[in-house]
Amino acid sequence: MANNAEVAQKYTAKDFTSDQDVRWCPGCGDYSILAQVQRSFPELIETNKEKIVWISGIGCSSRFPYYMNTYGFHGIHGRAPIIASGVKVANPDLSVWVATGDGDLLSIGGNHFIHACRKNVDIKVLLFNNRIYGLTKGQYSPTSEKGKVTKTTPFGSVDYPFNPASLALGSDATFVARSIDRNPKHLQEMIKRVGKHKGLALLEIYQNCNIFNDGAFSILTEKVTKDDHVLILEHGKPMVFGKNLDKGIKLDGPHPVVVDISNGKYSKDDLWVHDEFADTPIHAMILAHLDERPEFPTPIGVFRQYFKQTYDEGIRDQINKIVEKKGKGDLEKVVFGGNTWEVN
Amino acid sequence: MTELPLVIIDVQRGGPSTGLPTKTEQADLLQAMFGRNGEAPVCVIAARTPRDCFYMAIEAARLALKYMTPVILLTDGYLANGSEPWRIPNISELPDITVKFQTDPKDFHPYTRDNNLARPWAVPGTPGLEHRIGGLEKSDIYGNVSYDPENHDKMVKLRTEKIKRMVNDIPDLKVDGEEKGELLVLGWGSTYGTIKDAVIKARHNGLIVSQAHLRYLNPLPKNTESVLKSFKKVLIPEINLGQLARLIRSEYLIPVEQLNLVRGLPFKVNDILAKITELLGGGNGK
Repeated sequence: MANNAEVAQKYTAKDFTSDQDVRWCPGCGDYSILAQVQRSFPELIETNKEKIVWISGIGCSSRFPYYMNTYGFHGIHGRAPIIASGVKVANPDLSVWVATGDGDLLSIGGNHFIHACRKNVDIKVLLFNNRIYGLTKGQYSPTSEKGKVTKTTPFGSVDYPFNPASLALGSDATFVARSIDRNPKHLQEMIKRVGKHKGLALLEIYQNCNIFNDGAFSILTEKVTKDDHVLILEHGKPMVFGKNLDKGIKLDGPHPVVVDISNGKYSKDDLWVHDEFADTPIHAMILAHLDERPEFPTPIGVFRQYFKQTYDEGIRDQINKIVEKKGKGDLEKVVFGGNTWEVN
Repeated sequence: MTELPLVIIDVQRGGPSTGLPTKTEQADLLQAMFGRNGEAPVCVIAARTPRDCFYMAIEAARLALKYMTPVILLTDGYLANGSEPWRIPNISELPDITVKFQTDPKDFHPYTRDNNLARPWAVPGTPGLEHRIGGLEKSDIYGNVSYDPENHDKMVKLRTEKIKRMVNDIPDLKVDGEEKGELLVLGWGSTYGTIKDAVIKARHNGLIVSQAHLRYLNPLPKNTESVLKSFKKVLIPEINLGQLARLIRSEYLIPVEQLNLVRGLPFKVNDILAKITELLGGGNGK
């Protein structure tokens, strides 16, 4: 029998490509996500292809399973996390992935998402965040910025958006990361990190909807602006950013400050060193909210990762322990047990 | 649309909305029959006694697995809170509902169909059978997303035909009493015992009246029409405003008499007995 390493090597990106025509608009960021997933999988997947399942809800992102040559289920709006949870619990050997969008996961699916985080179900959630309802042609979504003018908010939205990383951290997700469709190398790295995590992993992917919300993340992707506005998080490294790597984040108690490290007043040694494995979510939470002030960059990378028993492990362990203690279930005994008597 | 087996047990209570949470009602029948978008027929069955709940639950699972379809099992508050002594069957007496999953990759397509029009069930983890299903319309046989008009028409009709064909797998409607005559009292669900008592009392009083009770509501048993047409009058007592009556009228184009009391309570025997007596004019319709 082939060992896992040999099995993994036998796949190429093409093996994960289904025979279906991809139906996203030309120029959509979803193409990049699909390509990076298909490129990452041969290296990532240490199991056989039939063990991979993609689950989705509704939206442009949720067409994803049709394009992956794996098992797939295109579910109903917002329900991908709970369908995925069921698949994982039914067969813990499976590698279960969710493709979802900001409307799907955070509006109608908000409840399923926070509870999947809370329970630490071992599923990988790729959130295609384009801050708009694209499939339905441009209504504001739960991640649309306040004041956004859309078809359903002609005078600007009055509600505050969800911050997906903050929501996941607050729901005790065991892995929270962010990447960008236009940074394929980083995105591939994050997909691999997500795939290797045991437990609920959220990867928020900033994704450009070039038809209904074009340029939503251009400041983070355009050559001239991206270096000054993106902070690439690396475990154990000080938080440096800027075109000339001349800026850094310093932490004054719970308050982050942007400092100049080029004028001699501050050096890299003064900066906040990123710790993915921090034992509280507090620092990751500060990072999740970092760019709410204009002078601060937007972090991408792994915000936080920690380990605890997964939901599916918990269920399996409980069943095994009870079977060990009480023996395997016997239907006849159950049916004839309890309040039964014999009439002669 | 995914044609996967699923059993939904609807223990009906007084509605709409939160309604009468601990009280009984039979008002979800039409919802079970039609309460979906699109042409989406499912099998609907109903238990008639507490003991029957045991068997109908197994029957629901058997049909769901065999035909790869959701099955709705209707009970209600009266049954759920009711009890009766009954002989527990040995497990060996129960039907075998073992599932045969598809494992052979040869010629596998997710929407081929067997003689019952059921599609194969291949679960994730089975080598060589990777496929995608979901809420979008699928092409016949191959299961790819399809917006083709002719294909949709075909799939809608196939899914409907599958449920219709289940009629060959369910028992005939049984009549208690004469098989033809003046009056048949037709019920479904938890009203069985009350109707039975009322019919027995009416017969004691010299009235000629029979009883039939539906446990299968979609599809209806094959002989339903001939049973109903063997009687001059059909009375349908229901704890709703006439949902089965509406189904029977539209299905068989026959007039039916209704008795509807929607009080959150089961019928009293006298409620039904009085209606039987009224319909037979105290003299068997003469």
